[in-house]
Amino acid sequence: MVTTSTTPAASAAQRGPQRLGLIAAVVLIAVSIALPFVPPFTGQDWQRYLVGAALIAASAVAFDFTAGYIDIVNFGFAAFMGLGGYTSAILVNTYGISPWLGFPLGALTAGILGLLTGLLTLRLRGIYAAVMTWFVALALLGLARNLTDVTRGPLGLAVSPLLATNDNLPYYYVMLGILIATLVVLTLVIRSRVGLAFRAIGQNLQAARASGINPTVFLVANFTISCAFAGVFGVFYAHYYGILTPDVMGTSHTIEILAIAYIGGRGSLWGPAVIAFPMYIAVQLLKVQLSSQPALYLVIYGLLLILVMLYRPDGAAGVIRSLGHRLDRRPKSGAGPAGASATPTPGATA
Amino acid sequence: MTTATATNLKQVPLLRRYLNLTSAILVVAAAAMIVVSIQNPSLLVNTLATGGMWALMAGGLALVFGVMNIPSFVHGDLFMVGTLVALFVFTPIQSMIQDAPNDFVLKWLGPFAGMILAFILGAVIGVLMELLLFRQLRRRSREQWVMNTFLLTAGLSIMFENVAMMAFGNLPQGISRYWDVPPIDVLGVPVAMDRLVTFIVAMGTLAVFALFLQRSRTGRAMRAVSMDETGAQMAGIGLTRIYQLTLALSCGLAALAGAVLIWLTPFTPTVGASPLLIAWYVVILAGLGNVQGAVVGAFLVAMVQQLTGYYLALNWVDVLPTGIIILVLLFKPSGLFGSEVKGVWEQ
Amino acid sequence: MLKLKGVESGYDLLQVLWDVELEVDEGEFVAILGPNGAGKTTTLRTIAGYVRALKGSIEFNGKSIVGLEPHRVSRLGIGYVSESSNLFAGMSIHENLLVGAYTVKNKQLIASQVDLVFELFPRLHERRNQLAGTLSGGERKMLAIARGLMPSPSLLLVDEPSLGLAPIPTLAAFEALKQLSQRGTTILLVEQNVNTTLHLVDRAYVLEQGKVVLEGTGPQLLSNKDVQEAYLGI
Repeated sequence: MVTTSTTPAASAAQRGPQRLGLIAAVVLIAVSIALPFVPPFTGQDWQRYLVGAALIAASAVAFDFTAGYIDIVNFGFAAFMGLGGYTSAILVNTYGISPWLGFPLGALTAGILGLLTGLLTLRLRGIYAAVMTWFVALALLGLARNLTDVTRGPLGLAVSPLLATNDNLPYYYVMLGILIATLVVLTLVIRSRVGLAFRAIGQNLQAARASGINPTVFLVANFTISCAFAGVFGVFYAHYYGILTPDVMGTSHTIEILAIAYIGGRGSLWGPAVIAFPMYIAVQLLKVQLSSQPALYLVIYGLLLILVMLYRPDGAAGVIRSLGHRLDRRPKSGAGPAGASATPTPGATA
Repeated sequence: MTTATATNLKQVPLLRRYLNLTSAILVVAAAAMIVVSIQNPSLLVNTLATGGMWALMAGGLALVFGVMNIPSFVHGDLFMVGTLVALFVFTPIQSMIQDAPNDFVLKWLGPFAGMILAFILGAVIGVLMELLLFRQLRRRSREQWVMNTFLLTAGLSIMFENVAMMAFGNLPQGISRYWDVPPIDVLGVPVAMDRLVTFIVAMGTLAVFALFLQRSRTGRAMRAVSMDETGAQMAGIGLTRIYQLTLALSCGLAALAGAVLIWLTPFTPTVGASPLLIAWYVVILAGLGNVQGAVVGAFLVAMVQQLTGYYLALNWVDVLPTGIIILVLLFKPSGLFGSEVKGVWEQ
Repeated sequence: MLKLKGVESGYDLLQVLWDVELEVDEGEFVAILGPNGAGKTTTLRTIAGYVRALKGSIEFNGKSIVGLEPHRVSRLGIGYVSESSNLFAGMSIHENLLVGAYTVKNKQLIASQVDLVFELFPRLHERRNQLAGTLSGGERKMLAIARGLMPSPSLLLVDEPSLGLAPIPTLAAFEALKQLSQRGTTILLVEQNVNTTLHLVDRAYVLEQGKVVLEGTGPQLLSNKDVQEAYLGI
């Protein structure tokens, strides 16, 4: 845990990469705000891709919050999204409340189910938890399919739009706002004392327990937060696309998010957000080009996931980070090894 | 006096061993099955036939976890490969049978060709998986091994499914029956030949599998590796070979199950999803890595499925077992048969 | 038979052995002694192939065994009994022995070897169907040694048989090793129990901080001043 040491030498060495990171973040946010005005992103099709990319970016960030820090793979992530979406859609349709109110309500239901699932599974070994979240997701999916009175099942539930416009641009800024808020909030949590506990638990459960941390409390808290965020994204999904089918909860949707999270780099939060845009847009273009092979993009996701797991377990974030260090080290070579160890690399120890 | 206390000491754990939640559930299950099978014998037939196949799936899944610590997500796709092999091998055989309806050897033994080839192809895929993926990962790092291999198999699973989708399309393709003969009378109940053979193949394969694990030199070596890798190496057991065999056997069994069951579950790219889920239900219910428990659990889950499908509706077949598993895990987090001893075939 | 020259070895970030030279001749009973952390266990693990030697040579019957996988070393006839025994907890004593004989193909040979180790450890014979996970500490050590003997190794490496044992089972374990040695098995033993060991073995090496600092026969070392001061409390 070199990251938290406050010795002057370490913090001096840390300042370099941190300042670089801050500059990069500001630049990236500026670029993402300006992007819809740069061709080809001015077209509606391209702006739709941007909305989808921001949505999956946010999902992958919240997924990474559990996978990358407490080392629990939430294999039911998409189902928690779907739960949030259905909650809001049904309430808006039945009681005519504003879709904006759906956000807290969707977060609430997904968070509560996350809390219950967490309480049940997170006492168990990691792999039990992953498989149990999968079971819970499939049960939710089964409910969405079978409770046709409420969800209309596979026919799909029509959902009223969030904004009174067909233009994709305002939706993009709403989702971008959600993405940036997610990144900021989760990064602040990770940098706090609580985040330190998360990382301690993710790296060595026994040692964390021995140093007086009650792992279950932190595990459940982390899982609940991530699920509540999933609920928020689900609400956006429902009111943006205007239709909800049980498929949104499916395992392949979770795997799509999971693939982006791991390809982006586990345990970094920003890695999945950064990689989601180029990957999602590339995949959409591929889909358009090769409409006869709609399954191809999933093969590519699978292959990339395997390659990342085998050869670059720290993902794109790891690659960018090592480039950043090289950049940072060039002017003043003194910061060498201390600078390297000062960047947080939880979960990327492999 | 001393002998009396000694026997008492032995009896206490024995009592605790048999008077517990696990046995209670088993007794209730057996009772339910008896009542139901008097009412509707075909449910019993279906439970035994499908339960046997789920046992092959779950047994293989538990074996790979026990020996190599890999929680496989790709197991269902080997089931899918099995249905494909059966489809492509049996379709020409079927037309040969139609051309020569009096060739009894062909008629009775022809269907087994696809099953055997499915097992072989499954085993080959298993060996390739070990060579190309798990060995590479093991060489690089054994940290977070369980999660990493889980994600590797998840990636592999998407590839299998979508390559199959690209190559063979999305539509179900199956074989309505292997043996075109009238149902056979078993204790007054008419049973379709395919169901009967499914059950016999399952029981036969399970018996061979059990004997192999318990009695053979190699099976014993597998169990030894699952209990203590270092100890196994001390005895001169090469881990690589055991890993290869484990994956070959487990993947072969999954493909065999797919080939045998194609009359019930025709090929689609995602036909393996449900068997994978069931195998995982069973393995979680029985305790990870416990092959013997997985075999018993498979019949339990098959029964729950049959009862759910019969009394509730087919749609609920995947929902109800989750509820049951959640209940079991609330009371017994290590599964029904899980124990402290890590091994693939507990005694 | 076994010859280590200038062996350096250790774990990822920690080198443990700096320069180990030792030799064991056929039929000899040799011990490695030394304080905690001196590298005794690492020496055995390096010979057995569980830790890779970084430098130096290890020769067994004139052939280098550096870099061989553990099971290959075992098949050459080097048995290894680890400190934690590494038994198969879910198997019976008898099955543990059968796995121990994995490399033996001849069934008759296996049966006679089982009889032989049961003769050496009658207690194991009494409990041959009991699960290894339920044995007492002393019985575990015996089973570990018995399992190591199953393929009739020409050299047996034994790591701290006295670890965690009460005095009586410790004596029993030493007694068993003595019998084995008298029957002609070559043994390389690692021990902390200096006094008893020196009375038992032919020769011994004293290892400190990854280097051999002393060597000699049992009586020589027993009368050595440094040994007396550091290990015997005289």
